[in-house]
Amino acid sequence: MSARGRQIGAETPKFVWVGAMLALLFLSLPLVGLLKRVAWTGVFASVTSGPASEALRLSLITSVFATAIAFILGLPLAWVLARIEFRGRSIVRALVMLPMVLPPVVGGVALLGAYGKSHGLIGGLLYDVFGIQLTFSPLGVVVAEAFVALPFLVMAVESGLRSIDPRYEESAATMGSGPSERFWKVTLRLLSPSLIAGVAVAWARALGEFGATITFAGNIEGRTQTTPLAVYLLLESDPEAAYALSFVLLAVCVAVLIAMRGSWLGRRS
Amino acid sequence: MKRFGLAIAAVVVIGSLAPNAAHADPIAEVSKLKGDLTISAASSLTDVFTELAKQFRKDNKGAKVRLNFGSTSTLVAQIQSGAPSDVLASADLTSIEKLVATGNVVVAPKVFARNTMAIAVKPGNPRAVRSVGDLASLRFVALCGKTVPCGVYASSVLRRAGVSLIESKVTRGIDAKSTLSAVANGDADAAIVYKTDVLAAKKIVLGIDIPSAQNVQAMYGIAPIRNSKNLTNAKAFIDFVLSEQGWQILKSFGFQRP
Repeated sequence: MSARGRQIGAETPKFVWVGAMLALLFLSLPLVGLLKRVAWTGVFASVTSGPASEALRLSLITSVFATAIAFILGLPLAWVLARIEFRGRSIVRALVMLPMVLPPVVGGVALLGAYGKSHGLIGGLLYDVFGIQLTFSPLGVVVAEAFVALPFLVMAVESGLRSIDPRYEESAATMGSGPSERFWKVTLRLLSPSLIAGVAVAWARALGEFGATITFAGNIEGRTQTTPLAVYLLLESDPEAAYALSFVLLAVCVAVLIAMRGSWLGRRS
Repeated sequence: MKRFGLAIAAVVVIGSLAPNAAHADPIAEVSKLKGDLTISAASSLTDVFTELAKQFRKDNKGAKVRLNFGSTSTLVAQIQSGAPSDVLASADLTSIEKLVATGNVVVAPKVFARNTMAIAVKPGNPRAVRSVGDLASLRFVALCGKTVPCGVYASSVLRRAGVSLIESKVTRGIDAKSTLSAVANGDADAAIVYKTDVLAAKKIVLGIDIPSAQNVQAMYGIAPIRNSKNLTNAKAFIDFVLSEQGWQILKSFGFQRP
């Protein structure tokens, strides 16, 4: 690896190195700044007390459910996008990607437009018929998080499906296995690295969701106030707790990246 | 006001006379309303300060006015961490006192307007809210964050009215505007926000007055920030806000005299 690095480096113009270094500095400096502000002796106490711990607990539960929804709905959609030729596929793909690039607050407004009890397209129906109110409920948090996380899972899994050599599945077919058996025994196994990557990045995205959540699900302590919302509000009343919570989120994201190594980071050859 | 008038006069004089006058005349230094001016203002001042800045720009073509809105607490935190800002207009006086304590403000703040709180409900008042007491029976009430001024004022109103809301029914907006939006665009049944915000949104929400015995008087303060690179402009803008012309604009947005 290092030998190859040097070889490529010899052909790399100086300005590329300088640019790359600046980019790295640009990305890492804020992280150093955050770590510097964390009051290490108080992290545990800050994170395990009052609103902070409630926010963490809520974030954990809602993000896991959101990721599960993203997984259950995202896998079939990724399959269709990767494997089936149909008219307007690129339009569907663009639609799927939209929540990735949409400002999350706009996503929240859009969710209100669909599921809001008073103004939403089907929100009133949901409430009248099933008694479900998504706004201001933990379920609403799950919906907001799944809305922004789903595309990340679809994109990761779709690219994974495309990279699978079809011959594996074909040979399994010639050996007499049916489509379902092939899916569980061959495709899913080959797909597992991208699946893990997709789940990890979708979960991280769900965990960090702010704009769509506060707009759609509100900001109710112990009910819809997730960790990022708590960080924002604590920044004014209890900065130490805000930095401690930020550190926890940072640590979780680093763990996610470690889990994803081999799929998106570098190659395991 | 007088100095402000003088400043304009001096701009005119300099514009028509020799350029080297600027070096000699101390008034000329004061009068050059050029360059950037960043005003940090409480979110409840969004509409009125946009109008005030528009008027100020019209009178001072050379000055570039930028507006930065947010909850007063956010603005204080921004200024304390060194964000460039020339003027702070806050929704209370304690926030400016915090900046005085940290040395970011060295001039005594001026009170330029007064505001009260009001209840906002959905058009047609479907839940038949008539008083602060009725809020306790609603499903969801939107209030500002506990530590931002409009949240502190709302707490006072509830305390004075002898009403306590269960925290699990209270959604907290990050500032006055977003709190009101939870009623206007979302599913919150009611909000307690500034009366001026309710007036500004009268097309999308219905306002209900809170009797003065239960209400609070929100005092808006304005002060220049110590490290301002453009103290002259900062002071000129503050003078403009405190002027009769400024007051007329404030009044037209529903603010009261301090």
